[in-house]
Amino acid sequence: MREEELERLRAIVRDCVGRHEYASAMFYAGRVALATGDPTDIYMEAQALLLAGHHRRALHLLTSSPPLLRDLRFRCLAAKCLEELKEWHDCLTMLGEAKVDEDGNVISQKDSNMMNLDKESDDHEINILSAICLLRAKAYQALDNRDIAKQWFKAAVKADPMCYEAMECLVDNYMLTCEEEKKLLSSLNFRKEDQWLYAHYSCMISKHEKSSILEAKFRDLEEGTSGSSFSISPVNKSSKCNADLMACKAEYYYQCGEYQKCFDLTTAILEKDPFHLKCVLYYLVASVELDRPNDIYVMADSLVKNYPNKAVSWFAVGCYYYCIKKYSQARQHFSKATSIEGTYAPAWIATCNTYAAQQENDHALTAYRTTARLFPGCHLPMLYIGMESMRTRNFKLAEQYLLEAKKKCPSDPLVYNELGVVAYSMKDYEKAAQWLELALNHVSFPLSELWEPTLVNLGHSSRKLKRYQKAITYYEKALALSSRSLSAFAGLAYTYHLMDKFDEAISYYHQALWLKPDDQFCTDMLNFAIEEDAQTRKDFL
Amino acid sequence: MTSKESCRNELRHAVRQLSERGLYSASKWAAELLVGIEPETPSSRPCTSGVTPLSSTMRHLFRAIAAAESPATSTPPAGVSYVSTPIPADDVDHDDYDSYLLAKSCFDCREYRRASHALRGQTGKKAVFLRCYALYMAGEKRKEEETIELEGPLGKSNSVNAELVTIERELSSLHRNGSIDSFGLYLYGIVLRDKGCSSQALSVLVESVNSYPWNWSAWTELLSLCTTLDMLESLNLKNHWMKDFFLASAFLELKMFEESLETYKRLLTIFRLSDYIQAQVATVHYNLRELDEAEVVFEELLRTDPYRMESMDTYSNILYAKESFSTLSFLAHRVFLTDKYRPESCCIIANYYSLKGQHEKSVLYFRRALKLNRKYLSAWTLMGHEYVEMKNTPAAIDAYRRAIEINPRDYRAWYGLGQMYEMMGMMFYALYYYSKSAALQPNDARLWNAMAHCYESAPLGRIEEAIRCYKRSADCNDAEGIALHELARLYGELGQTDQAAVYYKKDLDHMDSEERQGPNYVEALFFLAKYCKSVGRYEEAEHYATRLLDSTGPEKETAKSILRGLRASHSDFGSMDIDLAP
Repeated sequence: MREEELERLRAIVRDCVGRHEYASAMFYAGRVALATGDPTDIYMEAQALLLAGHHRRALHLLTSSPPLLRDLRFRCLAAKCLEELKEWHDCLTMLGEAKVDEDGNVISQKDSNMMNLDKESDDHEINILSAICLLRAKAYQALDNRDIAKQWFKAAVKADPMCYEAMECLVDNYMLTCEEEKKLLSSLNFRKEDQWLYAHYSCMISKHEKSSILEAKFRDLEEGTSGSSFSISPVNKSSKCNADLMACKAEYYYQCGEYQKCFDLTTAILEKDPFHLKCVLYYLVASVELDRPNDIYVMADSLVKNYPNKAVSWFAVGCYYYCIKKYSQARQHFSKATSIEGTYAPAWIATCNTYAAQQENDHALTAYRTTARLFPGCHLPMLYIGMESMRTRNFKLAEQYLLEAKKKCPSDPLVYNELGVVAYSMKDYEKAAQWLELALNHVSFPLSELWEPTLVNLGHSSRKLKRYQKAITYYEKALALSSRSLSAFAGLAYTYHLMDKFDEAISYYHQALWLKPDDQFCTDMLNFAIEEDAQTRKDFL
Repeated sequence: MTSKESCRNELRHAVRQLSERGLYSASKWAAELLVGIEPETPSSRPCTSGVTPLSSTMRHLFRAIAAAESPATSTPPAGVSYVSTPIPADDVDHDDYDSYLLAKSCFDCREYRRASHALRGQTGKKAVFLRCYALYMAGEKRKEEETIELEGPLGKSNSVNAELVTIERELSSLHRNGSIDSFGLYLYGIVLRDKGCSSQALSVLVESVNSYPWNWSAWTELLSLCTTLDMLESLNLKNHWMKDFFLASAFLELKMFEESLETYKRLLTIFRLSDYIQAQVATVHYNLRELDEAEVVFEELLRTDPYRMESMDTYSNILYAKESFSTLSFLAHRVFLTDKYRPESCCIIANYYSLKGQHEKSVLYFRRALKLNRKYLSAWTLMGHEYVEMKNTPAAIDAYRRAIEINPRDYRAWYGLGQMYEMMGMMFYALYYYSKSAALQPNDARLWNAMAHCYESAPLGRIEEAIRCYKRSADCNDAEGIALHELARLYGELGQTDQAAVYYKKDLDHMDSEERQGPNYVEALFFLAKYCKSVGRYEEAEHYATRLLDSTGPEKETAKSILRGLRASHSDFGSMDIDLAP
């Protein structure tokens, strides 16, 4: 065949691939490859075969001529075939021996006799090494070797920061602790024109930062003011309504307990992009927190219809049952989600929470431990184990777990709150007060009703330390957040009682009893207060 | 001082602006006041033709009131200068105006969520207010429904308005930016109050009334948050004539009746024909226990405005207190036909049944009144009283507690609680509640008597305090004379016979002046006779003993024996006299 004819056929193949007509692509690529025997054409044929779903054939084509495999691109493609065939060990063998250290630096790439058969390697692509690292990581992950997988994911991002998939896996599967995430990000080398990506990544990993800092980050990204080169870049113009970025923001709102904001934002995104799955996830969890089973139902229904093979669909169904308090059904669906996708963290954590909601302490603890093992970067299982241990009054153990959680995520106020509660339960009121103050310092938004218990706890601690005036201030702050807090009223009453201010004490005991008429503590204390008051009353004459 | 014409002008604008925002009761109030401004020529009163002018007695009454304040009725009192507040212009944007019209129509049809939805994303101040207000109303409606669905005993429920957080968030950010108008501030104020942040609510409402004084609803909310005189005085209010209306009703609430009357008198110089002021004046009289004056005013009010509901429950209370059965019956039947599902009419009917002694039916109507308005203070208290009559202690306690929750200044409810706990033998509690009540109404002898009784009772046994309470009661002009008798008895028990005699004497004088007789009368005579004899005042002793002879029972015999003893000693004296005679 003549050269121009071949060129025409190559163009047809590219065209067919572009139009997803794989059978034709396969046919023409085969003709071209046969005619020329050029590695580039063979590569093209293999790719067509792979796309057409003939993984085994593609693999055979690639492996049939060993010299070809000395090219990284060919190897990579072969490994990709093996990945599709789920032959993980062979896949790793195909990629060759290599070692990676803790930080994801590749130590030895044994194949030094690499050669590049493809002449026109251009900069626009993601570095091939990065792709190989990513494949290795996926293989190790599939083989349940999470530690090594994590290292290879890191290696992939390090080899080329543009490898978004690796970054996403690391973050979404909670492979790294907050510290590690920050360290990784700072070690990445971005090109000057890719600074926006750095900003995007930093939004992805900052889940507990102060709202002012983060809002500024998001604003920079949205407005595209973080660099002069940035504003010209075409990618940037659309990032204002970039669903991925917005999903990060939604996640951040969720982590901070701003459920209504999270819900509003995700609703807005889903209007434009109804099946943005990350967004769907935060829409679901925010709806659970806001107790909107009806919205979850509609979402779950459409997900199961459209994405029956996605973990998130069954997670949604589970959320619905969780929301209407049918925990065992919820658990069934959560476990279906985890069986589809073993690394789907939300479903794992939700499973644990169903046990906790049913007060099945042992089951819950086991489940949390499993989750903690699967997601080493996630502090939530530790936190929950701590909480469960507290429920069984095992305070020493609880404290250990909570400190562990704090190490993993030093910026979550909830951890500090729980530490405070543990210290309080162990009668170390000074420490409790310190922890609780820290908790409030870490809250990133103006205090919401969510933090009312923390304020009440602070009030209790201050009361125990005999700082009555301070205690009263805290209780009053708590009541400003939620005027229906029994414990704040009881605390206030008791504090005034201890200060011998019976009039205030009695009136607050009454308010507490108004909320819960059969509260034993308040009833008894009210009796005492009223008797003492009657014995000492003089003011009226 | 503003002229009538400018008041009229301001009110006309206010009525329109308030009703455009769905603030119906405030707009009704303003409109009522508008027609209450006396026209320059009396015949041109812009009102329905069927209304008769004030009767001569009423005119007389108000002339007298006005004359007492200032020499000439039309001259304003010196020293009062009002700040004129500019009437805010409405922002009318025609694109937005269409959706505003839709929203307002939905709002009028009570489709609140739809109204709020129709205005989504709009930033005009009027639109923002109506959107948030509609949302608030939607939340309130849902709350009411939930309350009925999950009804606890006596309709107690923990349901809250779920929209509060959203509204507060929006309004607080607007407030911070300063881009909120006075209506928005009013709504922000009630949202804050519902959330329990009363001090913040107070300052926001003050801001609202300072920038737009014609919104009576805002003043009412402010009133319900001002529970002490100190709070009232610390409010930084602009000196608009609407402030006087506020102050007058605040004085009434704080039991400063004289000040309240003064203020209303001053306002009458402009709003001569205002039914509202008449009703308020009558309420003041009622609170001063001047039932006859109050009744006259109410009768007149009912004649000029026969279908009026506001304040008519107070009128029924007066009739109840006066036991004028037929008038109450007439009133009850009339309101029944006018609108039987108004809280006021239910309350009137309940009073009617209560007077007839049909307490079950009375409770039924009070409950209906409370279903219609959960914050109807007097209905809670009165229902408590009905339950007391029916001996249903727990229900009575619950009702009184609800009353106190709504307004902790209701001394009758505190007193009722005290009674109930006393009935259950929980004296410490009873004492606490009585003391609360007495602190609010220090001039009511009954409360001091009740407190004294608690102090005296077994678990406390503090006679000293009991005596002091009874003294307070005696100072308060105790009509039933319980205090004097009890004081005498307690002193007698303590062995301080001199003191005891003083009080028995006072008690006796009191009973004489009222021509009452009874066991106390006998006891007093008996004690005094013996006491006078023991201290050697034989004349007096004889006098008392003789009076004692009129009574029946064992005392009569004792009296005879005392008299005999007296005669004997008399004769001793006599013989001595003889002996000494030359």
